[in-house]
Amino acid sequence: MRSTPADSRQYRAQLRRALDNQFLRQTLAGFAARNRQQRAETFAGLDFAALAQEVARIKDDSLSRLPELYQQFKQAAEAGGAQVHLAADAAEANRIIADIAKKAGCQRLVKSKSMTSEEIFLNDYLEAQGLTVTETDLGEWIIQLRGEGPSHMIAPAIHLSRQEVAQLFSRVTGRELDPQNVEGLVEVARQELRQAFLSADMGISGGNFCLADSGAIGIVTNEGNARLVTTLPRVHVALVGLEKLVPDLGSALTILSLLVRNTGMGQPISGYVTWISGAVPCATGADGRKEMHVVFLDNGRLALSQDPVFKEALRCIRCGSCANVCPIYAKVGGHNYGHVYIGAIGLILTYFYHGRENARALVKNCLNCQACKAACPAGIDLPRLIKKTAGLVLAQEPRRPAKNRLLAAVLKNRRLFHFLLRRAYLTQKPLARGERLIRHLPFFFGREQGFRSLPVVARRPLRDRWPELARPEAKPHLRVALFGGCLVDFVYPEQAEALLRLLRGRGVRLDYPLEQTCCGLPALMMSEEETAREVAVQNLRALDPAEHDYVLTLCASCGSHLKENLPRLLEGAAGLAVQARQLAGKVIDFSSFMVDVLGVEPALGGSGAQAAYHAPCHLCRGLGVQRAPRELLRAAGYQYLPYAEEEVCCGFGGSYSLEFPELSAAILESKLDQVAATGAELLVTDCPGCVLQLRGGLDQRRSPIQVLHMAEAAAAALDKPRA
Amino acid sequence: MRLESLQDQFQQRIAVVGGRAQTVPDLEAALGYVVRLTQELGGRTLAAPGWGQAELERIQAVGQQAGLEVFSQGLRAQAKNIFCGFTPADWGVAQTGTLVIDSLNEDLRLATMLSEVHVAVLPAARLRPDLPSLQDELGGILQRPQAYLAMITGPSRTGDIELILTMGAHGPRQVHVLILEAAA
Repeated sequence: MRSTPADSRQYRAQLRRALDNQFLRQTLAGFAARNRQQRAETFAGLDFAALAQEVARIKDDSLSRLPELYQQFKQAAEAGGAQVHLAADAAEANRIIADIAKKAGCQRLVKSKSMTSEEIFLNDYLEAQGLTVTETDLGEWIIQLRGEGPSHMIAPAIHLSRQEVAQLFSRVTGRELDPQNVEGLVEVARQELRQAFLSADMGISGGNFCLADSGAIGIVTNEGNARLVTTLPRVHVALVGLEKLVPDLGSALTILSLLVRNTGMGQPISGYVTWISGAVPCATGADGRKEMHVVFLDNGRLALSQDPVFKEALRCIRCGSCANVCPIYAKVGGHNYGHVYIGAIGLILTYFYHGRENARALVKNCLNCQACKAACPAGIDLPRLIKKTAGLVLAQEPRRPAKNRLLAAVLKNRRLFHFLLRRAYLTQKPLARGERLIRHLPFFFGREQGFRSLPVVARRPLRDRWPELARPEAKPHLRVALFGGCLVDFVYPEQAEALLRLLRGRGVRLDYPLEQTCCGLPALMMSEEETAREVAVQNLRALDPAEHDYVLTLCASCGSHLKENLPRLLEGAAGLAVQARQLAGKVIDFSSFMVDVLGVEPALGGSGAQAAYHAPCHLCRGLGVQRAPRELLRAAGYQYLPYAEEEVCCGFGGSYSLEFPELSAAILESKLDQVAATGAELLVTDCPGCVLQLRGGLDQRRSPIQVLHMAEAAAAALDKPRA
Repeated sequence: MRLESLQDQFQQRIAVVGGRAQTVPDLEAALGYVVRLTQELGGRTLAAPGWGQAELERIQAVGQQAGLEVFSQGLRAQAKNIFCGFTPADWGVAQTGTLVIDSLNEDLRLATMLSEVHVAVLPAARLRPDLPSLQDELGGILQRPQAYLAMITGPSRTGDIELILTMGAHGPRQVHVLILEAAA
């Protein structure tokens, strides 16, 4: 049994230890880079979104009729001589499997990879019953010998170096092994495990698919160990989660093609895909037949499949990509980013399969950068479900944390909120020493927050400056409302001023409705859904979608929140749901507005300065905008210098950077290293939150690279008209 | 034309995953290939299940002439002694370089799993562009009361130590596919 710290402080200490592990950091960084490239290569020419949609459709259909598919599977499998069991929970599944072994007189068990068996800690149980269990997947065998759990769903021993493996195998074989000879190490496993296969009397496998119409299971592997596990011993037990049921082979093949490509291991199909149905011939079995069992695990799945929100989590096909693309996973690895199930899906499933205590601290560890959502082959909205799960945990706390109560109270009251923001200016003044950034944070922030300088709140917020800034346009052909967002309004009003300069003379009437308040995303990030809803209603009152052609935002996070979350928050709210959808439909980000609506191309002018770009998560994924900002950069006369991880999060994540400063700092560090390597003088982005993080980090490095919001960068071009 | 392009694609795809494919005119040529390969690699045995009677007799004759021991059934008894698995394949999938083998016969399974080298003979006419185009045939096989259907793409491999791709984790270290050209 494992436990993940329920206490945030303990969990953070664990994360710090992981961050200090240089081998892990290097391995994971290399893995992430290679994975990104290989995933892109194997999907070349394919429409990932359409395929993912098809997988989601197949899974949703199957999940909506699990009992029916189970009955169908059972009938077909039993007609072929297999025995089918349904275990209500982990304890029952363990019991059933141990009983099968006892009844059949089996003592030596070999196993191929099964996350479901990890879920129920099957090995521990069987070993306690006096049975010998040998994992035969190389990675699983390694971690079994070390007494660990997998740190990745596909690559369970990715956290270990060849030196550690060589040391381990030297101990097992009693021979000194050369760590540089990886082939030799694999050979050791081949020899040792071949013996285990040949002497085993029972094989335990997992299953990637259960085909209802034929009672067949499908198993995906590269090493071929599952084939030996299901062939050599006289008894075969397949342990599978109920959600693996699909109607037929066609459905499974559709999922298979996406599953393997999406692992990012660089292949369109795995080495072996094995389909087994019924009691197949087996020379050492009774009557020359295999004793075949399929054990289905419920463990909450049936109930989950009927949950209006969380059923989506059961679409997971265990490709591991939500870990592969996660910037947090890339820093700390699976042992620190999950319980048994790791990565984004692990944050959710831990709560349902392994309980609140194990999920309590873990579930907060999400940036909401949406990388996992974009990579999920089953279209699971992982960040949303993570926040929902965090909400469940929160609801069960004896007392909501003070910061949650404070946030809720303040955000719901715009006047109070804005009053406090204005007061912040006075509080900060002595710390800033006349600068725009606070380099040395006051003691109550804690040392770990010092990785970035913090901006000073503006002396006069945008809302106070607006009357003097706004100039009526003579013949406006577009009516646009600006949604400022807290950062632009109170910290970076100059970004809005840049916007105003750019719009001058372009026939745009820009309004700034003063009753608008925080978009509500920070509340949702802290799982304060009720507060987010109240704030959403206030914003709807402030911004009547009927009066505007566009609702323009300089903040990618506000924009994607208004577009995606607002309609969801107000779904079913009489009168409001319609308006929320209308408003969402009019939301547009700055770059798209400039490029696609105003058509600023060919050229604004510009200095020809070399600029790198940071793609805000909520722009490139949240709003799906990728082309416009890069076009605008070029139109504004910059020399655009691309780098590989442009679309990887900067580590800000709003309150995330306060909750997990060490991780935020580590993620920022990688980002800034990449930017620095381009040699750019400027770093441009489209989100004031990213500006805060990037500028603060560069200032701490005393780097000369200047960070600009895209609006500022574009406006600067006006000052240098092209010759 | 179409057949040739499927062959080309199959050869390219299987090469990407570390396998080898080439065309042969007939079974005799395939036999020559497998005997030569086994001898070159220092193997002494040939496991050849899944063949018809006439073919098996030729395999035995040629194998024994070359000094190789030929097994065709009861392979469990030879589990530690199988060097080269020489089997027919049912289909080839060009898109991915995948062999599809109906492996209900346990000996056929063992020959493709326990051998050091697997040489499969695939009639050119059994090449298909992709897996979905085989869906009906494969679905039909799985509808039988018992089925063991294997899709094999290249040699057994692992990346479990530092993600370094290494061949021969558990199954064959080499996979050779001999595409049997259609009779003239």
